[in-house]
Amino acid sequence: MTVTALLKVHRRKLLFVLAALLLIVWFLVNAANIGPWWERNGVVLRQAMVTGLLIGGVYGLVALGLTLIFGVLDIINFAHGALLTVGMYITFVLFNRYGVDPYLAILVTVPVLFVIGAVVQRLIIHPARNAPTHNQLLLTLGLALFIENLLLVIFTGTPRSIRLAYGRGPTDLGLFTMDFPLRLAGTTITMTKLAAFLFALLLTGLLFLLLQRTDLGKSIRAAAEDKEGARLVGIDIDRINLITFGLGSACVGAAAALVLPFLAVDPTIGNTFNITAFVIVVLGGMGSVPGALLGGLVVGLTQELGVVFLPSSTKLIGVFIVFILALMFRPQGLLGRRT
Amino acid sequence: MRIRRLPLHRDYLVLALVTVVLFVAPLFMSRFLISLAVLVLYWAHLGNAWNLMAGYAGQFSFGHAVFYGIGAYTSTVLLVDYAVSPWLGMVAGAVLAALFGLVMGYLLFRFGIRGHFFALGTFAIAEMVRLFATELEFINTSVGIHVPLVGGDSWLRMQFEESVINYYYVILALFVIGLVVVIAVSRSRMGYYFQAIREDEEAAAALGVDVLRYKTLAVMLSGALTAVGGSFFAQYFLFIDPTLAFGVSVSVQILLRPIVGGVGTVWGPLVGALLLTPLAEATRAFVRTPPAFLGVIQGRAGVDVMIFGAILIIVVLFLPHGLVGAGHSLWERVRGAEATR
Amino acid sequence: MMRYRKKYLALILVLLLALAACVEQPAENNTGAAEEETQAEPTEAPEPTEEPAEEPTEEPAEEPEEEPTEEPTEEPEEEPTEESEEESMAEEGPILIGGIHPLTGALAGDGVQMDNAIQMAINELNEAGGVLDGRQFEYLSADSTGSAEVGQTEAERLIEEGAAALICCFQSNVTSNVAAIAEREGVPLVIDVAVADSILDQGYEYTFRLQPNATAMGVRGVEFLQEIAEATGTEINTIAYLFEGTTGYGDSVRQAFVTRAEELGYEIVDEVSYDPFNVADLTTEMTRINALAPDILAVTGYYNDGLLAARNAEEVGLDVQAVYGVAQGTYDVPQFVEDAGDLAQCFYDSNYHWDASNPEALEVRERFAEEYGEEMRTAAVLSYQAMQIIAAAIEEAGSAEPAAIRDAISGITYEEHILPYEGPIEFDETGENVVASPVVMQVQDGAIYQVWPQELAEREPIMPCVSWQQ
Repeated sequence: MTVTALLKVHRRKLLFVLAALLLIVWFLVNAANIGPWWERNGVVLRQAMVTGLLIGGVYGLVALGLTLIFGVLDIINFAHGALLTVGMYITFVLFNRYGVDPYLAILVTVPVLFVIGAVVQRLIIHPARNAPTHNQLLLTLGLALFIENLLLVIFTGTPRSIRLAYGRGPTDLGLFTMDFPLRLAGTTITMTKLAAFLFALLLTGLLFLLLQRTDLGKSIRAAAEDKEGARLVGIDIDRINLITFGLGSACVGAAAALVLPFLAVDPTIGNTFNITAFVIVVLGGMGSVPGALLGGLVVGLTQELGVVFLPSSTKLIGVFIVFILALMFRPQGLLGRRT
Repeated sequence: MRIRRLPLHRDYLVLALVTVVLFVAPLFMSRFLISLAVLVLYWAHLGNAWNLMAGYAGQFSFGHAVFYGIGAYTSTVLLVDYAVSPWLGMVAGAVLAALFGLVMGYLLFRFGIRGHFFALGTFAIAEMVRLFATELEFINTSVGIHVPLVGGDSWLRMQFEESVINYYYVILALFVIGLVVVIAVSRSRMGYYFQAIREDEEAAAALGVDVLRYKTLAVMLSGALTAVGGSFFAQYFLFIDPTLAFGVSVSVQILLRPIVGGVGTVWGPLVGALLLTPLAEATRAFVRTPPAFLGVIQGRAGVDVMIFGAILIIVVLFLPHGLVGAGHSLWERVRGAEATR
Repeated sequence: MMRYRKKYLALILVLLLALAACVEQPAENNTGAAEEETQAEPTEAPEPTEEPAEEPTEEPAEEPEEEPTEEPTEEPEEEPTEESEEESMAEEGPILIGGIHPLTGALAGDGVQMDNAIQMAINELNEAGGVLDGRQFEYLSADSTGSAEVGQTEAERLIEEGAAALICCFQSNVTSNVAAIAEREGVPLVIDVAVADSILDQGYEYTFRLQPNATAMGVRGVEFLQEIAEATGTEINTIAYLFEGTTGYGDSVRQAFVTRAEELGYEIVDEVSYDPFNVADLTTEMTRINALAPDILAVTGYYNDGLLAARNAEEVGLDVQAVYGVAQGTYDVPQFVEDAGDLAQCFYDSNYHWDASNPEALEVRERFAEEYGEEMRTAAVLSYQAMQIIAAAIEEAGSAEPAAIRDAISGITYEEHILPYEGPIEFDETGENVVASPVVMQVQDGAIYQVWPQELAEREPIMPCVSWQQ
């Protein structure tokens, strides 16, 4: 299947899903508009959708790394969250010790995490490439334990957070001034989350271009689709595996820097993103970049809408229900192809 | 081929021997070692239950906590609210878990979910149940339930304050029963179907194996055995809450030992438990009193788990088929050398 | 057939070896540890070397003679021999105190501090000459890893290594298990921090709790709130409650708070829970609460999620008279002021605490900061205090035998404590600290002050007060 044809299929599915989402939203808004329920919960619903989208973008970025690794190496990488934590600590140290802005720190965390990911792949994942899959799962679990506790030894368990000097109150953005947090129809949009969302979109787009337009990207996609075939046409699979693991880790490196301005870091914080990332990967389709983004948005929305409709420590329940339904009815993922 | 005709399979003989050894062993152990041994057997039992489904039938579960928690909660709720003996509660928990396994297995398999997706599906279900449990009033939400103490020893209530060693014998009995079930199943027609499904589902179906039915059966059996372990947990630790019962860490702990020991082997779970449980303890002891040249690490929180993680990685890297698998291939090589001589 | 038999014989052999290893290994470690200890002592401090030389000659000679002659009718014959045996055994070395806390995992931040605090208390006690005329303490530290089963095996290990008393656990579920072990083995357990009421509902005789339990936290929390509102002339009718709904701690405090609040005539407009280990954002929750316009937002949770709640409340512009933490692990921690900056202003927390009006408490915290480079948190102060109480009990009992320590603790009247309790610490029948009570703190001008009850107040409470509405 050619790239354009692939895109075409994707586009149709994308449109379908977006239409379904819009329909749901429209229904919710109109069905509820009449009752007093709306009086009380309208703003909550709007906030849930705003937060869901914003946080969903970040979820998507984290899941993006996972989906690449999953798609190409066929590994459930449990150390993914731990690598996110590493990225957050790097950002924290850069900010705290050297005063580096977290959004600039992306320039450091991305290459560093790429290298860490590549090293991990070479030392731990690569030697086990022919072992049963559950071994690889255990390897990544052991790695997660190792990383988490290494961070504990270095940084202790005390949560660390940073506070940006800007981003609250009127902010001069060159062309115009914005007053953060933004108020939009009663909802709140903070600079940190908006920035995280926009950066996440930007990086996802860049990665998408990389995969679609470059030779390297094409090799990666080929390896994800058919390893033997890719090998036959002369692609160095070992190299692709290495780079993919590095790229996947680099994604959490970027996400880490984006998350730290609004979330404190401790050695186990990565788990918060791990679970949702798995759901998103399956939801979006293994190895699918737009799928990861869409999955992230869907999970973010579902989770936050849970706050409106459910007692909220169960807000992930909705996510898991969506997940299982997706497993049953679209096992190839929202944007995945049937194999 | 000759083996199959034997009325008593060799695994049973080994089991009998191991049982005798394990039966006598606590006489030479201190209380601390006994409590460690209880944990070894307890994890071996749970690993064994998991192994039946993941190792033999090839359905890798990443959410076994759901069965475990059902067992723990069923016996505890029955005991606390209805004064039902935990022994009956254990059976009830096993039945309930099997029913849950029936529904869950059927739903997931009916829609052709397998491999990684099945693992993630079981994980999602376990997490859903955990979240649900934190909101359920009749199991006291996230606050959890205490098993009331009766004071002294009571076989009826499965509580032993004086002779703690009885806990050891209870879990030993459960472990042996579980292992007998696994051996029996693996030698039966059902067991062969399981293995056929594990090796190649399409081929098994083509040969007339009712794949859906046997996969679901594997989930039910494994779930029931796991629930028994959960009931024991509640009785032994006297307290249960949704995180202890349905948490992710339970699912991970359950599959750790059989994988290290050897997936799909009869003795893998026990060997894995014999290695990992004392290993965690040993790394802790090591960090408490390290050799002089490593004085820096003394008492540094986290170093012990770091070492544990590293050892886990090394074991999995160098023994890809688990300890039992490695022992097996080592034996084959020795035998090969003998044969050529 | 021979092959198979051989193979499985080999397997059995391996199993037996593994078993033997499992039997021997930790035992070796124990003796190894004990050896190291005894070896290490003479080099470190000259006192202990004198001790063992003196004591075995003095005491075993005295006691068996004294007791049977003095009270032969009252005491059964077995006891003196038993006691003297045990004591002479125990008095050879230092008094061992065990501590079990989550030194790894999600709660390691507090756990490690608590562990350090006990070590610090022991160092100080030893420097001051120990107890019982110069006997030294030694600390056995254990990591519960935050899990109940590890906590339990570690408790068994500590007791086996000779711990005369235990201090533990920070988490309610771990504590429940350790308490059962302590009871079974007859070793006193002082709970520094663990909030669930049910731990002491079991009729344990060997377990004591220093910290106020969930009911005390919730009930006193709402009562203090009412008093503060009256004192400041603030009208409060409605309360919304945000709590962590995963570990049981938040829910048990909430239940007590809500029950008492309804008795006092407050309307609880919303109760929102979240999973503290899986939360990246609480903006929607805050919006939901804000839509109901409560007078007070009550919050119970851990540090990270509490910080998140504070930030999100400010972002949403939560319209309340005050944010009031109930046993909340964030708003009474100095780090909160650093992390949150200006927005920390005005946050209340009704929590267990050290007595900030007591200069000795401040000195202890200063020493801790010097030694470990971190601000000493409340949980660690309680661990420190627990060790002090055990030392006092040993002094009072005149013996370091577990049963004697237990009796001494249960009858203790401890006045020199550094906690904000009215009157001396005493334990009731169930083992609860009768004076245990939270104290209300508020962030004012970049620092945390005790504001209620009045006797312990450093400053006047300010209400209504929310930083983002000024």
